Amino acid sequence: MKKVLVVDDEDMVRNYVRRALASRGWEVVEAVNGADALEALRTGDFAAMICDLKMPDTRGEEVIKEAAASKPGMKIIVITGSVSDVSSLIEPGIAAAGFLLKPFGIDEIRDLAEKVIGEGEMSGER
Amino acid sequence: MTHKANIIVVDDEESILELIQAALSRLGYRITCAHDGRDAVKKISAEKFDLAIMDIMMPGMDGITALGEIKKIDPEIEVIMATGHGSMGTAVQSMRKGAFDYLHKPFQPSQLVSMVERALEKRKFNDITKAIFSTIKPDELPRIIIDSAMRILKADEAFLALAGRDGRLGIEVSDGLDSPGQKASRLELCARVTGRFGDDGKSVALLENPAGDKDFSGVKGIEEIKSALLLPLLEDERRTGILAINRRQKEEYFNENDIQRAKIFGSLVNLALRNANLYRQLQETQSQLIQAEKMSALGQLAGGLAHEINNPLSGILGLTQLVLENTDPAGQNFTDLKDIERAVFRCKKIITSLLSFARQEKFRTEPVNVNEALEETLTLCARQMELKLVKINRDFGGELPMVKADFQQLMQVFLNLLTNARDSMPESGSITITTRAAHMRNGRDCVNVSIADTGPGIPPEIRNRIFDPFFTTKPVGKGTGLGLSVCLGIINRHGGAITAQSGPGGGSVFTLELPV
Repeated sequence: MKKVLVVDDEDMVRNYVRRALASRGWEVVEAVNGADALEALRTGDFAAMICDLKMPDTRGEEVIKEAAASKPGMKIIVITGSVSDVSSLIEPGIAAAGFLLKPFGIDEIRDLAEKVIGEGEMSGER
Repeated sequence: MTHKANIIVVDDEESILELIQAALSRLGYRITCAHDGRDAVKKISAEKFDLAIMDIMMPGMDGITALGEIKKIDPEIEVIMATGHGSMGTAVQSMRKGAFDYLHKPFQPSQLVSMVERALEKRKFNDITKAIFSTIKPDELPRIIIDSAMRILKADEAFLALAGRDGRLGIEVSDGLDSPGQKASRLELCARVTGRFGDDGKSVALLENPAGDKDFSGVKGIEEIKSALLLPLLEDERRTGILAINRRQKEEYFNENDIQRAKIFGSLVNLALRNANLYRQLQETQSQLIQAEKMSALGQLAGGLAHEINNPLSGILGLTQLVLENTDPAGQNFTDLKDIERAVFRCKKIITSLLSFARQEKFRTEPVNVNEALEETLTLCARQMELKLVKINRDFGGELPMVKADFQQLMQVFLNLLTNARDSMPESGSITITTRAAHMRNGRDCVNVSIADTGPGIPPEIRNRIFDPFFTTKPVGKGTGLGLSVCLGIINRHGGAITAQSGPGGGSVFTLELPV
């Protein structure tokens, strides 16, 4: 399954992440905030979630914690505009499979997404 | 004297008033008479007087009471008390109330005249002291000193020569010296006068007809000087300059009184210069505090800004790259988009550098690649270097071991050293940065970083002071004097070392040892 959830309140970021991954055969679902993301997680299954940390309604950490609990097999990629945000993730012991500091390019997100899903699954899909 | 002093004489006896008036107006003083204390107080509130000569025993308001009143109106006026029956008690009382001196009646006119002269002299000194010490701007002080010296010692020329960074004397301010040739000859005189400041090196040197003195033989242009008083200027017991006060051939020689005056004046000047220095240090400390405030504000601003900018920047980068994928690499669009992409990378680098510099409150060591830290610092100051036409030469060693350091603080040290180097070369120059693997004196592995500039270098006499807090050679408001001391503090905390030398071809070299 190459289905990924992209959570970010910044339209431009969601837009290019979606298109960057879609052109590589991913099915991309977008969520514009924390509530939207939690709703998407309840109704669907994803191989990975790409999640921003700073959003107006919920802190990304909350979404990630909840996702990690309800979808243990799903890989999580954190994207953020500031390094200091990342340090807050270390403390609650959330296991993110990877993170990217904005601004990041399309190849960076493609490479990371494909890496965290793992070779096995990838080859099966191709 | 050029300035006709304004004197008020207070006595109830008409004959004494006339006697004093006759003796003093002959000498050119302007005399006003008052017949009792109340009259005197009234006149002094209406007009400015330099000196009062006042009887003690008067009907109505007596002299002692009037003295108190007068000093309330004008604390600067000098007062000579005249005592008729000469009780010591009243004399002492009047001195306590601020009288300059007292005269016993009957007195000789010559006694009166010499006391008046001394009182006016004191008055003049007070004026000058006030002028010198009330100067808020240290920059104006040399001019005031020279003007005062000309007035007090009735000189034809006066100048202040201060030692520059190279230790050579240069004329800071002068009066009565018009041509460069005159100035050069006076400087040469000062350069040769060293031995004449007495055994302690602090006394006034008196020269008479220096052209005929073998110590000064061959100094051109000094034959016009008849008499010269040279006052050493001292800072922490070291001579830092000379105040020279000269009379030319048409004038009288300086006499014993003049020398006394010069001595007093010299100590005033030294005090005032010291005050000015302290004042400057105070200002610098203030600007350092302001700077620290700015840094903390910058840190907060940078943090918030980075977040706000990185999001849209990410969008620009991603979308640009998406469009690039569908663009013909041969076309103009492709080139333009590539430029946009590069600009985003540059923005990213600047923000990262700004963040690393602004966040420096915590001391956290990690393995640091010294060359990388240098590169980041250079990114931050590249523009300023370009503006000042400073060329950066990188001589980075390959395969350097990682050092144990706080990345941000290391950057702060580099930035400080690079900024100093740049400021030392206002007219362009180059900075050579060398990094090498090395060993410290205790055998520990380290990385050596040296930053060499092509500026004027560090004079030997200040080399051991440059790391002192508040020591600076930059102009007021430009340097805080804390940069290098902060560097030293940071490097010490890293267990490293920082030293300064002069480069082989001039310029300064700062060398850091950073333990692995």
